[in-house]
Amino acid sequence: MRSTLYETRRARRAAGSRLLRRETGLLTKVILYAVLVTFTVMTLCPLFWLVISSFKTTQAFQMDRLGLPERWNLDNYPQAWRIGKFGTLILNSILYTSTSTLATILLSASAGFAFAKLRSRWTPLLHGSFVIGILLTIQSIMVPLFLAANLANLYNTRLGVFIVYTGISLPIGVYLFTAYIRGLPDAVVESARIDGAGYLTIFRRIILPMTRPVATTLAILNITATWNEFMLINILVSRDALKSLPVGILRFSGALSSDYGKQFAALVIGLLPMVVFYLIFRHQITKGVPAGAVKG
Amino acid sequence: MVRRATNAEERRAYLILVLPAVVLCWAVIAFPTAFSITLSLTDYNGGPLFGGREVLRFLGLQHYGEMFRDRFFWISLKNNLFIILISVFGQIPLGFVLAYVLFRKLVGLRDLFQTMIYLPTVISTIVVGILWQSFFSPYGPFTQLMQYLEPGWENTLFLNPRTAILPVLFVMLWMYTGTYLIIFLANLQKIDPQLIEAAKIDGATEGQVLGRVILPAMSGVIVTSAILAISGSLKSFDLIFAMTAGNPARRTSVLSLYMYDNAFRGAPDYPLANAVSTFMVVLSLGLILMLRVLEKRFGGEE
Repeated sequence: MRSTLYETRRARRAAGSRLLRRETGLLTKVILYAVLVTFTVMTLCPLFWLVISSFKTTQAFQMDRLGLPERWNLDNYPQAWRIGKFGTLILNSILYTSTSTLATILLSASAGFAFAKLRSRWTPLLHGSFVIGILLTIQSIMVPLFLAANLANLYNTRLGVFIVYTGISLPIGVYLFTAYIRGLPDAVVESARIDGAGYLTIFRRIILPMTRPVATTLAILNITATWNEFMLINILVSRDALKSLPVGILRFSGALSSDYGKQFAALVIGLLPMVVFYLIFRHQITKGVPAGAVKG
Repeated sequence: MVRRATNAEERRAYLILVLPAVVLCWAVIAFPTAFSITLSLTDYNGGPLFGGREVLRFLGLQHYGEMFRDRFFWISLKNNLFIILISVFGQIPLGFVLAYVLFRKLVGLRDLFQTMIYLPTVISTIVVGILWQSFFSPYGPFTQLMQYLEPGWENTLFLNPRTAILPVLFVMLWMYTGTYLIIFLANLQKIDPQLIEAAKIDGATEGQVLGRVILPAMSGVIVTSAILAISGSLKSFDLIFAMTAGNPARRTSVLSLYMYDNAFRGAPDYPLANAVSTFMVVLSLGLILMLRVLEKRFGGEE
């Protein structure tokens, strides 16, 4: 009985895939491929155009905005690097991204552990405030954030940037960690309690190592968001030495915008780290996006 | 006795674990929100809040009236609406179709296509903005391309107040369709494959499978995505800042840029900026409420 059922099911499955193959006829296939190839070309062409143009002199670019350069000019890169002060900016970007990502992971993991496994009547209120924080658009509070940073004497300080970047990342972090830790068996905590471990030890020794998957997701989301962040750094900091990469790139669209070769080189410098990061971690990134999409 | 000790320890641990995150998050999100709502009702315009020479005056809703009378506010709101439209009727359907094609394995090279469609999303918005601004500018290759088709074509895209928003909307479509592709793909993969198989065996066509099995299963996700797109429109700032900075004549402004302009460009008008900020907070809280109601109505995901 069982085996016949299995047999029919397999036969049906084979029939199903045959059906599928027959339906996607040649024409459909051609159309589908055309659409997907169009999208791919739409992604690649602007980027190729950008890279090619970054090797042209401004004059060569003005002569022909589409073709390959007659002479590949390498000077744009060192010059753009120097004018844009990219050394400092990239260091700042790395600093802001790494510290705020680490702090976000640590603080959301600890809060998530407390919300998920410790008893308190405050949990609904506090956890709820993080959930509201997820959905509140951060753009809406940039002016008060600027005023508050001024009043707290944190304007134009690295500490201020760090606090803001960590603060805005916490809601989604706490949300993801709480949900994940809630899914871990209570017995893990209980047995450690019986062995006499304190809650902080349990968190550090047992829970934190177990949250690796969600920590990776959060790290990926946070690194992409913080590295590309522009609006807040723009209002929190006015000193050149404290700014980050996107601010430096924008510099080339103002007064230097007619110096096309250097502008394009600057854009490539801004583009490259994220593209490399994406190509290395693309599976983790695309897995993390739906998780972070609650943030919208 | 032992029980009480445990409780005290649990409370202490709870505080130590929760407090840093709560303090930081409230300092950065909750406090500025409350601060802004308060300030929007006063004449505070920068400087020290306490101990300053001038006393804070309470003005009520005066700045809101000012805001609603400003035509640039309405232009900005209208552009936010355009962004919602391009998301809901552009990004979401396109993302869905692409996700469906990849999910049903109707084509090969799926990994490559997925990677390429999502790539624009990870690039810094500032880079994307300047890149496309150069592309569409009168001095850019778009002009050259159009002149191949129509000699003597004049590029007034960014100069004409009526058309300046079009390149921006195009770039948004280009940039964010990938996000919806990934969201839909992840949720499509949660659908039980046997359901689709069974429908196929019963003789359903691909279109019927889509209409009767997949779309109903995805309705919650689609609704959620639409709401996310709507609240996401309030987030647009960087791209427009880099592409047009709201020009020409502030015709491509959005709410966040309108607020920024009032606070940081020219003479600062913080009271008005705070009123705009409050308006945006209310709008975004309203959207949360809408999300909750719609999620309940349509079953929602998860």
